[in-house]
Amino acid sequence: MQPIEFAWLIPVFPLVAAIAIGLFGKKLKEGGGYVAVVAAIASLAITAAVVVQVLDGSFDSADGVMDGVFEQSQMWLTLTDSYSFEVGIYIDQLTALMLVVVSLVSTLVIVYSLAYMGGEGERKRRYYTEISLFVGVMLGLVLANNYLELFIFWELVGLCSYLLIGFWYHKPSAASAAKKAFIVTRVGDIMFMIGLIILFTTFKTLNFRDLFEIEASGTDLSLLTIGTIMIFGGAIGKSAQFPLHDWLPDAMEGPTTVSALIHAATMVKAGVYLVARSFPLFVQTPETLLVVAIIGGVTAFMAATMALNNPNIKRVLAYSTISQLGYMMLALGAGGYLFFHTQHAEGYTSSMFHLMNHAFFKALLFLCAGSVIHAVHTEDMRLMGGLNRKMKITSFTMLIGALSISGIPPFSGFWSKDEVLATVWEAGDLSWVFVLLYFLGIATAFMTAFYMFRLWFMTFTGKPSVASDHAHESPRVMTYPLILLAILAAGSFLVLFVGGGFGGQVFFEEPHSLAPAEVLTATFAEPITYLSIIVAICGVGLAYAVYYRKSISSDVFVSTKASRTMYDVLIKRYGFAAAYDAFAEKVVYGFSKLVDLFDIYVIDGIVNGFAFIFARSGNIIRRLQTGQVQLYAAIVIAGISIVFILLYLVGGLR
Amino acid sequence: MLENFPILSLLILFPLVGAILVFLTGRNGKAAKFIALAFSAAPLILSGVLLASFQMSFGEYQFQENHTWIESFGISYSLGVDGISIPMAFLTALLCFLAILFSWDVEHRTKEYMGLMLVLEVGVMGVFTSLDYFLFYVFWEVVLIPMYFLIAIWGGPRRAYASIKFFIYTHVASLAMLISIMALYFEAKPVLGYASFSMIDIATVSGGFGHLFQVAAFGALFFAFGVKMPIVPFHTWLPDAHVEAPTAGSVLLAGLLLKMGSYGIIRVALPTLPEGAQVLMPLMLAIAIVSIIYGAVICLAQRDLKKMVAFSSISHMGIVLLGIATASQLGIAAAVFQMFAHGLITAVLFMMCGVVQHKAGTREIPLLGGLASKMPYAATFMTIGFLASLGLPGMVGFVAEFSVFIATFDAYTWLLLLPIASVAITAGYYLWALQRTMFGPLTEKIDTSHLHDVSWYEAVPLAILSFLMILFGMLPGLIMDYIIPSAGIISGILGVG
Repeated sequence: MQPIEFAWLIPVFPLVAAIAIGLFGKKLKEGGGYVAVVAAIASLAITAAVVVQVLDGSFDSADGVMDGVFEQSQMWLTLTDSYSFEVGIYIDQLTALMLVVVSLVSTLVIVYSLAYMGGEGERKRRYYTEISLFVGVMLGLVLANNYLELFIFWELVGLCSYLLIGFWYHKPSAASAAKKAFIVTRVGDIMFMIGLIILFTTFKTLNFRDLFEIEASGTDLSLLTIGTIMIFGGAIGKSAQFPLHDWLPDAMEGPTTVSALIHAATMVKAGVYLVARSFPLFVQTPETLLVVAIIGGVTAFMAATMALNNPNIKRVLAYSTISQLGYMMLALGAGGYLFFHTQHAEGYTSSMFHLMNHAFFKALLFLCAGSVIHAVHTEDMRLMGGLNRKMKITSFTMLIGALSISGIPPFSGFWSKDEVLATVWEAGDLSWVFVLLYFLGIATAFMTAFYMFRLWFMTFTGKPSVASDHAHESPRVMTYPLILLAILAAGSFLVLFVGGGFGGQVFFEEPHSLAPAEVLTATFAEPITYLSIIVAICGVGLAYAVYYRKSISSDVFVSTKASRTMYDVLIKRYGFAAAYDAFAEKVVYGFSKLVDLFDIYVIDGIVNGFAFIFARSGNIIRRLQTGQVQLYAAIVIAGISIVFILLYLVGGLR
Repeated sequence: MLENFPILSLLILFPLVGAILVFLTGRNGKAAKFIALAFSAAPLILSGVLLASFQMSFGEYQFQENHTWIESFGISYSLGVDGISIPMAFLTALLCFLAILFSWDVEHRTKEYMGLMLVLEVGVMGVFTSLDYFLFYVFWEVVLIPMYFLIAIWGGPRRAYASIKFFIYTHVASLAMLISIMALYFEAKPVLGYASFSMIDIATVSGGFGHLFQVAAFGALFFAFGVKMPIVPFHTWLPDAHVEAPTAGSVLLAGLLLKMGSYGIIRVALPTLPEGAQVLMPLMLAIAIVSIIYGAVICLAQRDLKKMVAFSSISHMGIVLLGIATASQLGIAAAVFQMFAHGLITAVLFMMCGVVQHKAGTREIPLLGGLASKMPYAATFMTIGFLASLGLPGMVGFVAEFSVFIATFDAYTWLLLLPIASVAITAGYYLWALQRTMFGPLTEKIDTSHLHDVSWYEAVPLAILSFLMILFGMLPGLIMDYIIPSAGIISGILGVG
């Protein structure tokens, strides 16, 4: 038996932990926190063994391996002769990547929670139940070998997200945010479901292996186009892409650990993963890829603008997450488009590389923010400041995260973001749309550097505020995960220089291994690389001037009427939140009220009208209402008697 | 061993004997409860035996019992189950047992209450196992009486209005059914050469009946069964009945009685009158879609938690009708699965309405809020029930809805967009209701100082049902495998694959 044949155990540990904590958490130490940690570590250990096998290629000899994919599968539900569903696991390099990201970040976040959630008392049991459940179903999602199974886990991670956003359910804002997250993503999920139904009825299977071998043409191809766009609809909801992005900022109502794990590092990546997983289908329809790229580019840009002036530390990070997810979508769209025309799929690799790096640096940034919030008991950056002396580790690790996401070399974020932008630039040869998207991407890079350093300077430098006075560094159980994540955020790019590089492992169709020297020339011989470095440095520089040196007053952003208006528009999220609410309250609820009145006065009115007419003519109702219930029994007996009379009459005629 | 064992008769006989014994107990309410529980536990065990010994791959009737009753009229005592009735029989036994347990605190006329619950079980079980029209009709009418009394005696303030409305409305529908049954009987007699109320006998010849006859008879049957489901626009008796009915009454009304309607369409109307079915299929489709959306939209406007759940039943029974209206094997099978799923789910929902009413003293959503802090178990059960009802994957409702949607796309392609949109509305009203009742700060509009969590006799049925909703959601084949072959026989008669 090879280690990979035990891969099905990876999601089982956290799921069993969730059940155990749910049932017996009250009796366990830390409300079951240690059980959750042990389960996560167990998953991480098996993941490590599996990934080693995938990397060194030795899993090829395991049972169930075909064409570089390990698969175990069983019949789940037979509907008819032509329709059936399976349940199973599917491991290729993409799965391995996701497994590492999910189980590693989960483990660190749960360890961190031991201190961060330490003061929650009775509620800890619920927290560790729900977070273990999340880890289990998230791992299930990435292991699924067919779309239906993926969809089931997809909805279950959404459930965990709902429960954990509403963790402090007594706060109306948290309860409301949880509901919004569920319903808005559900709109995407309906599209996803329609997509699945189209694929299923067209191709009679939802198994990845079978579907990915299909080369559609004719009607099938147009159905495939609609189907993939619909599936992408699911990704729009889950990965908070425009126009279904507005739930993610509100989702920050949950504990910061939840934001770090679910709403930054893992669940919101599920949409990106879905597109990457479906790449063999997506690359057959350039229309879909164009949609993916445009939505990704627009989202990246728009979300970055909203991060520019928000005073809430977590919200800035939330917008940043949306923006970075947009980058990943953009890379997939552009990369797929390139593949369709040129058979090169580096875009796929760059997107996945950015996904991995982002998971590390964004989890780091959120956990740092959590450490700060833990110390100062506020999320408002205007009330922070001067924390770098009191919280050296948090301050330093967050700086690394900020440098990484801003794309400052040599930190990891630089390499992947550069590859993403290079892909889009290259696709510009095929269509002017991508040229436009490239410049949106560059503008986003500038804004990213600016808002991240605005955040860092506002929080850690300047005069200490009242809130900062009593702040002190967080305990080790929190800072150690920060240090580990900081090492990853700074150095995960090193995978580019090991073996065949990242592209030699995670690729679509053809590996593109590069020797270390080739990586360097591929990056630094391109003029556009310097453009991304320059805009990043400019962004940092502007933030430095405004929020550190204060040589430019921040009032400059609201000095004119136009810029003031723009400022307010950004704070109001371009009116999306208000529009969602108005649609729900005025349109849907208003319509519902109307239908209710129609039901009472028209439909039921007619029924009661009939009753009234009969009552008038026969006075029956009045007698009934006096409570002569025996009469009803009589009516029933009368009914049956009529049968007999009829039978007798007809029988007599015979 | 079970070849000549009258297991179906026993399913009906146990609650009947139980009812008689309960009525004989005198003033001792406690004895009545225990007798009722025991005599509803017996059919539950028997239905388990039935499930275990049923031959799944074989879709025809099994465990048949045939005894001539009134020979000259062709009336026989004829029972049998196939893959469509067997999940319903199990559901009946399960819900009756749990509803009796859930009513453990009934102190007002306990004896009558428990007796009526058992009589109700007799009727419903009879409907789901009869293979003779006459017997079917008798059982159908038997169901009406205990439900009428349950509402009229143990109901809320407007119980008189609601119970009469329930009785007259459904009785008018029964009359339509009676007329079509008689028409079928007389039409079949000359062709058969003998008088027979046997569903099987009549079905062998009824396919050849005249076009107009088929359409008219099918229309009348569809009306009769549709009122019971209920379908828009014949639904207004349902919210009134539910709002006034006692909790266990609502559980059985929504969990079982509504299924009699859709069961009638599948068992009687479709296979007996295939030509009529084909002509009226567009009408059924339209009504199904309207019911799904209308029921969901109207839920948002409700202030009474129980009324909301009642309207949600209309929407979810619309999904059953949608499956039927595809006329395909998958659609019919999915419809039956949805009946089963809805039975489990709606039982939890109505039980939770009862818990809220009982503990908080009101079901008015605007008066509630933040109850989760005082009653965490109740909040958990309510969340599980709502999630199951909104079709969360991994729970039983999802499999049913998803299969119906596949069948709908198969049969009518883009028309699917209308019913599938209701999925978002459904999530909307449930989560909004959850937010306003269980979450947020604890309400100050009602006295919450004596608010207690669920009692044991409430927790046990809720826990069993929650477990089953998850079990059948994760392993839907446990039920679906029974249904598929029999659904294939019916779709075969309709001439669709």
